[in-house]
Amino acid sequence: MIRVRNITKKFGKQEVLKGIDLSVEQGEVVVILGPSGSGKTTLLRCLNFLEKPDSGEVEISGYQVDCKRPGKQDIQTLRRKTAMVFQHYNLFKHKTVLENVMEGLVIVQGFGKVEAREKSVQVLEKVGLGDKLDMYPSQLSGGQQQRVGIARALALEPEVILFDEPTSALDPELVGEVLSVIRRIAAEGITMIVVTHEMGFARDVSSHVVFMDGGVVVEEGKPNEIFRSPKEERTRQFLSRITPELTYDI
Amino acid sequence: MTLLITAVSLIGGFIIALPVALVRIHRVPVLRQLASAYVTVIRGTPMLMHLFLIYYGLPILIDALARKFGFDFTAASIPIVYFVFIAFSLTAGAYMSEVIRSGIQAVDRGQVEAAYSVGMTPIQTFRRIILPQALAVSLLNLSSEVIGMLHGTTLAFTVSITEINARANIIASTNWKFFEAYIAAALMFWGLTVIIERVTARIERKINTFNRGGVA
Repeated sequence: MIRVRNITKKFGKQEVLKGIDLSVEQGEVVVILGPSGSGKTTLLRCLNFLEKPDSGEVEISGYQVDCKRPGKQDIQTLRRKTAMVFQHYNLFKHKTVLENVMEGLVIVQGFGKVEAREKSVQVLEKVGLGDKLDMYPSQLSGGQQQRVGIARALALEPEVILFDEPTSALDPELVGEVLSVIRRIAAEGITMIVVTHEMGFARDVSSHVVFMDGGVVVEEGKPNEIFRSPKEERTRQFLSRITPELTYDI
Repeated sequence: MTLLITAVSLIGGFIIALPVALVRIHRVPVLRQLASAYVTVIRGTPMLMHLFLIYYGLPILIDALARKFGFDFTAASIPIVYFVFIAFSLTAGAYMSEVIRSGIQAVDRGQVEAAYSVGMTPIQTFRRIILPQALAVSLLNLSSEVIGMLHGTTLAFTVSITEINARANIIASTNWKFFEAYIAAALMFWGLTVIIERVTARIERKINTFNRGGVA
C-alpha cells in the first residue's frame, strides 16, 4: 500500500508538482497519464527519491517519510521497497544480462551467488530471455534491453514497480513485446505505477487511471470512467488528441 | 630503479588522483578549490621543477619541524629516492586525476539512478558501477600516463639517483662511449614501452568485451 500526501516539487522557479495526493492499494495497477511537462515522471521519481520532493509525505507499506528532511536511512528503505524500470533502460553496461539482474540481489539483499543466480535465471526466463544470460546490453535490441530492465526490477520482489515511460524509447515494432511482458506480470498481482503514452495498453491493464496536468491531478478513476466519460474538459481534450480511435469505441 | 620509481609514483599518483577527481566532480566546498589549485599548479609547471622543489624544499621544512618539536632527526637521514617518490607522485596525481575525472563523467547518469533504484548506496554504486566503467574508458589515457612517467623518471638523475639514464652516463664516462651507452638506454626504454603497450592492448580487449557493438 502506497500513500502520497501533498507532495510539492520545484525546479528553480518552476513549480512542477503542486501538492499531489495519491494512494495505491496492493495489487493495483495505476496508470498516470498527462501531457509532457505535467509532472508525472517527476512524481514517480519522488517515490524513490531519485528526485527529492520539497515537502509532503511518502508512505510505502507502513514506512512513512517526511519529505522535508528525509534521513539517508529513510531514502535507502524506500528504495529497497521499490524498483524502477526506466525509459532508457539504464542497464549496467559492463555487466552481462544475468549479472544485471543478480547485482541488486547480491549487493543489496545479501543473497548468496548461487541462490541469486537461480532466482535471476528464473525471472529472465519469465521475460523470455533465458537464452541471453551471458550477453552484454550492447548486444541486445531495445526491446530485449527493456525486458532485462523489467527482470532486474522483478527479481527484487519489491512492494511496487515504478515504470517510467517504459516503451517511449523503443522502435514501434518492439513496443509489443515489452507491453506483453508488463501485461503478464500485472496479471500476477504485482503492484505497479506506470507512466505511459500507450493509451490502449493503459486502458487494458490499469485498475486505476490518474490524469495529471500542470503539476496537479486533474481527474482520477476507473479506466472505463476516464476513457469513456471523462468529467473534466482538460481530460477530454487530452484524450481526444492522443487517441482519436477511442471516439469510435462504443 | 627506473621501474621502482615508476611503479611507486604511479601508485602514489593514483591514491592522490582518485580523491582529487571525486572532490572536483562532487563539488565539495573548500576541498574542491584546493584540488583545482593543486591540478593547475602541477600541470602548469614542469616535472623537473616539482622534483627540485620537493628535493630542496621539503628537507628545510622537515628540519624546521624536527627542531621545533625537539626530535633528534634530520632530513639528511632520509634516502633521496623518497623525495623522488613524493615529487613524482604529486606530478602523476595531477595528470591522472584529470584522466579519471573524465572517465567518471563518461559513465551516464542513468546507470547511477538505476543502481540507486535497486537500493544500492552511493558507495556501492561508485565501487561496482561507476569505477569499473570509468577505468575502462580511461585505460588508454592511463597507459599514456604510465609511459610518460616511465620516461619522466630519467629526471631523477639530476638528484643523483642512478636510474637507467644515469647508469648509461656513468658507464660512458669510464669508456667515453656516450653514444653507444645512450643508444642502449634508449633501447631499454623502448622495450619497456612496448611491453606496456602490449599489456594495455590485452587488458583493453578483455575489459571492453561489453562495448562490442550489437544490434541496438
